[in-house]
Amino acid sequence: MKKHISDGLETTHLLNLKNSEQKNQTAELIIANKEIALQNEDKENRAAELIIANKELIFQIQEKENRAAELVIANKELAFQNEEKENRAAELVIANKELAFQNKEKEKRAAELIIANKELAFQNKEKEKRAEELITANRELKNAEEDIRILNEELEQKVIERTAQLESANKELGSFSYSVSHDLRAPIRAINGYSKILLEDYVENLDAEGEKILQSIIYNSKKMGLLIDDLLAFSKLGRKPVTVAEIDMNGLVQQIKEELIFEKGDHIPEFDFEILPNAEGDKSLIRQVWINLISNAIKYASNKANTHIQIGSYLEENMVVYFVKDNGAGFDMQYYDKLFGVFQRLHSQEEFEGTGIGLAIVQKIVHRHNGNVWAESELEKGSCFYFSLPAIN
Amino acid sequence: MEYENIEILFVEDSVDDAALTIRALNKSGFTHKLLHVKDGAEALDFLYCRGVFSSRNPNQFPNLILLDLKMPKVSGIQVLEQVKADKRMKSIPVVMLTSSNEGPDIERCFELGANSYIVKPVESDNFFKTIKEIGLYWMILSQPPHL
Repeated sequence: MKKHISDGLETTHLLNLKNSEQKNQTAELIIANKEIALQNEDKENRAAELIIANKELIFQIQEKENRAAELVIANKELAFQNEEKENRAAELVIANKELAFQNKEKEKRAAELIIANKELAFQNKEKEKRAEELITANRELKNAEEDIRILNEELEQKVIERTAQLESANKELGSFSYSVSHDLRAPIRAINGYSKILLEDYVENLDAEGEKILQSIIYNSKKMGLLIDDLLAFSKLGRKPVTVAEIDMNGLVQQIKEELIFEKGDHIPEFDFEILPNAEGDKSLIRQVWINLISNAIKYASNKANTHIQIGSYLEENMVVYFVKDNGAGFDMQYYDKLFGVFQRLHSQEEFEGTGIGLAIVQKIVHRHNGNVWAESELEKGSCFYFSLPAIN
Repeated sequence: MEYENIEILFVEDSVDDAALTIRALNKSGFTHKLLHVKDGAEALDFLYCRGVFSSRNPNQFPNLILLDLKMPKVSGIQVLEQVKADKRMKSIPVVMLTSSNEGPDIERCFELGANSYIVKPVESDNFFKTIKEIGLYWMILSQPPHL
């Protein structure tokens, strides 16, 4: 197009040069020029328009190319997406398979759970049964406890009743002792006293036999008084509370020895003392034990030319064993079981005086101290009496 | 005048004990004027000049009261209680005589102010000796209070 335009311009220039020669033609040529110019202008306009249109076309083509490129891209994208979708689908298939598998597993699991549930239900039932059994056992236990409680109550009631019985028996014994000592002593005193008056003031009215009978009345009433006193002393022992403390045994025995010798006056026995350990006991009661044992030793050895009394002790486990040994009349060991009995005597009244309460008192006192009493003897050789008391720790 | 100038008031319900006691005192040579009454009620009647004793001189009191413990009507303890609570009589020596040392009496008697508590021996020699010693001690050795 530009070539066209330059061609036109060259022609116009040649024509102008020929104008000087040809005026008419010039004008015409101008006009023609003009026309041509106009036409050129049109053509130029057209060209411009064409350029624009070309540009437009180019732009459009470009646009189309862009679009195409975009489409290609979009296609590629679609293809990619398709692929993705296919992948996805494949994955879904796998996932589905997995799900199916999982479902199956779940079903299996569910089946297992059902079995487990059944098992649980069974176990629950067992547990309930057990619980019921336990409840029953508990109830039985409670019943047993109730039985025990009732038995205990009955026992307590019985203990209370027995204690009351014992207390009333004790009270009765107390009042019995009182009336024995009070009411029996008075008439015996009267018999003894009046007999004595007869003997003192009216003996000239009696013959020898009468006087002998009177002496027997006096002797027997006196003996009865002594028996009553001994019996009371013995029964009092059982009721007297034992108050335990350490006893100075050497001091106690020495004091008793002095008192007994003082009473004895003549025929003083020979004493052989060992040092005695102390022991636990009720001093006033243990004092009575020593008095009875030592005075027995003096009494039963009184027929010997020399009365020899040995007092000693030894330790045995937690007890102190004391002994009083004499060289007196002794006794026959075959009657040993009677030795500590109340009012039991192994010698006649003519041989040795006594009521037969002394050793019974000794035994009762020692037993009340949780100790023991025993003896060894040989007729005419002598006796040894032992008693044990808790040692001092 | 048989109730005047009584030196020993002897309260004893047992006729036998009374006879033996009085004999023991006589045999021992006591010449003190003694009145024997048979229970605590009679003893209080005498001391307070009541009943058969209403005519006796109310300002005279015995030098010794021998008082048995267990008696009908009014016991020895009740008599002791009244005597020792009475300003005019509380200095009179009261010797309690009893048949036994059983029972809770000893402490009670001394609490109330008894001057002596003697258990009557069963055996007559001891009994006579005891009564004699009581008389000797309280009527001869011991100085009577100035009433």
